[in-house]
Amino acid sequence: MDDIINELKELEELTIQCMKCGTCQAHCPLYQKDLEETTVARGKIALIEAVFEGRIEKASSILKHLDYCLLCGRCKINCPSGVKTDEIFLKAKAILRKIEKLPTWGKLVLKIVIEKPELLAKLSPLIHIGQRFGSKKIKKNILKPLISSFSERNVYPIKSKPFCSEFGGFHKAKEEKLRAIFYPGCAINMIFTDWGRKIIEILNHYGVSVYTPEVNRCCGIPAATLGEIGIYKNMIIENYKFFNTIDAEYIITACPTCQYGLHEMGEKITREYVKKKYYDIMIFIEEVLGIELESITDEKITLHLPCHYDQSKEPKLNNVIKKLGTNFAPMENRNCCGFGGTFNIKNYKNSRQIGKTKAEEVMEKGYKKVLSPCPGCVMQLTDSIYGENLLDVEITHPIELVYDAIFKKRQ
Amino acid sequence: MLYKSLVYKFKEIIKENGTIFTEEDQLACYSYDAYAEIPVLPDIVVKPSNYEQIEKIIKLCNDANIPLITRGAGTNLSGGTVPKTGGCVLLTTGFNKILEINENDLYAVVQSGVVTANLAKAVESKGLFYPPDPGSMNISTIGGNVAENAGGLRGLKYGVTKDYVMGINFFCPEGNYVKSGGKTVKLVTGFNLQGLMVSSEGMLGVMTDITLKLIPKPKTSRSMLVLFKDMITACEMVSAIIAAKIVPATLEFLDNFTINTVEEASKIGLPTDAGALLLIEVDGYEGQVEEEFSKILEISQKMGGELKVANSLEERNKIWEARRKALSSLARLKPTLILEDATVPRSRIPEMMRRIQAITKKYDLTIGTFGHAGDGNLHPTILTDRRNKAEMERVEKAIDEIFEAALELEGTLSGEHGVGTAKAKYLEKEVGKGTIIYMKKLKNGTDPKNILNPHKMGL
Repeated sequence: MDDIINELKELEELTIQCMKCGTCQAHCPLYQKDLEETTVARGKIALIEAVFEGRIEKASSILKHLDYCLLCGRCKINCPSGVKTDEIFLKAKAILRKIEKLPTWGKLVLKIVIEKPELLAKLSPLIHIGQRFGSKKIKKNILKPLISSFSERNVYPIKSKPFCSEFGGFHKAKEEKLRAIFYPGCAINMIFTDWGRKIIEILNHYGVSVYTPEVNRCCGIPAATLGEIGIYKNMIIENYKFFNTIDAEYIITACPTCQYGLHEMGEKITREYVKKKYYDIMIFIEEVLGIELESITDEKITLHLPCHYDQSKEPKLNNVIKKLGTNFAPMENRNCCGFGGTFNIKNYKNSRQIGKTKAEEVMEKGYKKVLSPCPGCVMQLTDSIYGENLLDVEITHPIELVYDAIFKKRQ
Repeated sequence: MLYKSLVYKFKEIIKENGTIFTEEDQLACYSYDAYAEIPVLPDIVVKPSNYEQIEKIIKLCNDANIPLITRGAGTNLSGGTVPKTGGCVLLTTGFNKILEINENDLYAVVQSGVVTANLAKAVESKGLFYPPDPGSMNISTIGGNVAENAGGLRGLKYGVTKDYVMGINFFCPEGNYVKSGGKTVKLVTGFNLQGLMVSSEGMLGVMTDITLKLIPKPKTSRSMLVLFKDMITACEMVSAIIAAKIVPATLEFLDNFTINTVEEASKIGLPTDAGALLLIEVDGYEGQVEEEFSKILEISQKMGGELKVANSLEERNKIWEARRKALSSLARLKPTLILEDATVPRSRIPEMMRRIQAITKKYDLTIGTFGHAGDGNLHPTILTDRRNKAEMERVEKAIDEIFEAALELEGTLSGEHGVGTAKAKYLEKEVGKGTIIYMKKLKNGTDPKNILNPHKMGL
C-alpha cells in the first residue's frame, strides 16, 4: 500500500501545477452533465493529492472517479496552468490498477483484441456471422443487437474479412513520388474497411506508395484507459518496431485517437520515438498533396471535430470540406461526442446522453451529412443520430467524400 | 463523521432526485476551493433538487448543530467554501435555471446556481447586458457572485455585482424563507436585506432566486493597447483619461514582469522593455465612442505611449489576448500561484505599485502584477511553490505588508475576492473593532448557533 502512495506521490510534480481554479468545469462534458466535482479534472487531481497527502485512506476508492472520464482532453487544452491532465490520469490509473485489478471481461477483451491480433483476425468471420444472427438490421450497414443489454444501440457490423488481411502489404503508386505507412487502427481494420481501401486508392492515385501492416496491432489506448499501461507500452513499442522497418517518410492515420496514442502519448510513456512524420489523412491531402477538389454536393453538411484531432489543424480540415460541399457549417456544439472508447462500454447511458445533444443539433439544423474524421466519433454519432430516428442522415469519415470527389462517384 | 441516523435523515430529505455523498473519496472533492489552503473534508455533501429540500436540510443542520457550507462552483479565492471544521456542503449547482428575462422592465430572475457566462449570453441574445464579468465567469455561479460581490473588468464604468442585485429570496439559518427586494427600481419596504446578502459569503442565508438588473447592450466599442516605457506614466495616463471626463468600460494594467511572461508564453509581439501596458476599451453609441476614442488617442500620444489600435474584431481579439493570457502565463511559471486583490483608490496606484515592487525585492519573491487600473483593483500575483517552506514564510510576510500598504493608502484588503479564511486575521485592521462587534451581533442574531459557514471572516 505504501508503494502505491509513494508512486502516486511521484505525480506531484504534475499535480501541483493545478491551482484548483476550476476552469475545467466549463469544458468537461461530464461535469456539464452531472454538475458534480467528482467528475471534473480539478476534483480528480484533488483526489490523487488527497491519497498521497493522507486525507483519504482507501486509495483504491478513487479509481472509479479517474475512470469516469472521456479522455477528451478538453481540461488539458483549456487549462490556464497547462496541467497535463491526460498524463496524470493515465499514470495514476496504471498505479491504482495494481491494487484494483481489472474485471475478467476487461482482461479477456484486452488479451484477444490487443495482444492477439492474429487470433482476432481469424475470429472475425465468426463474430461477423454471430452479429448478423444476433441483430436486426435497421438500415444498410447498421444493426441493432438483440441481446437485451445492447439492444438500445445502433452499431456497425464487424466485417468478415479484416482490412489488414485483405490489404496488408505494399501498394506501389504508378508514378511514385512519396512513400507512406497507412496505420488503419482497430476500427478501420475491423469495421470501416472501406475507408481504408479508399485511402489507399486516393494515395496511390496521387503518387503515394502505401505500406499497410499485414496484422493490425492496436495502438494500445484502450489498455491505457483501463489502467493497463504495460500492455499499452508493449503495443506502442511493437508498432514502433514495425514503423522502423519500413522505408517511408510518413505515418498516416485516419483515427485521431490512434495518432494521439502512437505519437503524443506514446512517446511520453515509452520515451522512444520514430523518425517519421505523423499525419492525419485529411491534413495529408491538404498540406502535403494539396489536392484540388471539386464540390460534389449542395446538401447541408456539418463536421464534428474529434477531441484528439490536432486542434490547430481545424481550419485546414474545414478548408477541405468547404471544397467538397457548398452548404457546409461546422457543428456549433463543440462538445465531445461522448464516445470515449471504453467509456462508452462502461457508461453507455451517460455516453448516449452526451451524444444526444449532438443529434439534437443535427435535427434542429437539418443536416443531411455529418462528417467526422474519427471512427469512434462516427460510431457514436451514428448511434445517437439514429437513436433519434434520423435515419436519412449519412454519418461518415470525410475521406469518403474526398474519394467520391476524386473519382466522380456522385453528382 | 456523522452518526448513521443523521445520514439517514439527510437521505430521506433528498431522496427525490437529490444527490448525497458520504464516502471519503467523494467528500475529498469538496474539501477545497481556488485558494491555496490545506483542504478539509466535509462530513456530508448534498445536492438538493428543490427548495423544500433546502429548507429541510437547513433545519436539520440547525437542529443537529452541523455546520452548513453553501457551495456553487467553488471558484472563490479566499477559502470561503472550505469546510473548516467539517459539516455539510450544500451544492447549488443543480439550481441552474434562468427563470425570467424581462425586456420591458429590464431585469432577470435566476436561480443561484446559474453560471454567470450563461446568463450573460442569454441576456445578450435579447440585446441586453449583464456587465459583471469576474475572471471565472465561465464557471462561477450567480449565487457565488452575490455572496462574494464579484467584480471583473468593467467595474470602473459599470460597477460590480452589488450594483445589479434588485432582489433575493433566501432561507435564513433557521429555515424561514425570506423575500427581499423585487422587480421595481424603487422599493423601500423593510430592510435592504438583498444588500445584506451581498458579500455575506454564505454566512447569513442560503440564496435560491436572485433578481438582477439588466441594461441595454452598448451599441459599439473600440479597443486599444498603449505601451509605456515606465509604470508611472501609465498610471498618469489613467488619471488623465478620467480627468478628461471619459469613463472607459475597460482600463486594464499589466506590469513589466507580466508583459514579459505573456510574451514569452504566447509570442504576440509585445515589447518586453515596456514598463507597463494599458488595455483600454470604450463603449456606447457610435459617435460618442469615436469621440472618446480619439480623445484617448490624443492623450496617449501626448504622454508618449506606443499605440496599438484595433480596427476589426480580429484585431480586438489580438489586443485583448495580452490581458486574457496574463493569469495563465503567470500560472505556468511556478507550481503555486497566490492571487491577491488588494485595492486602492485609483490615484494611489503608482504608490501601491512602488510598494509592491519594494516588497517583492525585500522578500526575494516573484510577483507579477496586473489588474483593473480603472478601479484601483490590482492583482499582485505571487508565484511560488507551496512545498518550499522557507519561501512560503516569506510569502506570508509579503502578503501582510501588501495589505498594510493597501490600508495605509486608504484602500482595502480585498476588492473582489472576499475575506473567507484567507484574510480573516486582517479584517479588524481595516474595519475596526466596532464593526467586528456589529457583524458578530448580526450573525449571532440571525444564526444563533453559528451554523452557516462558520469561522469565515473570523466569526
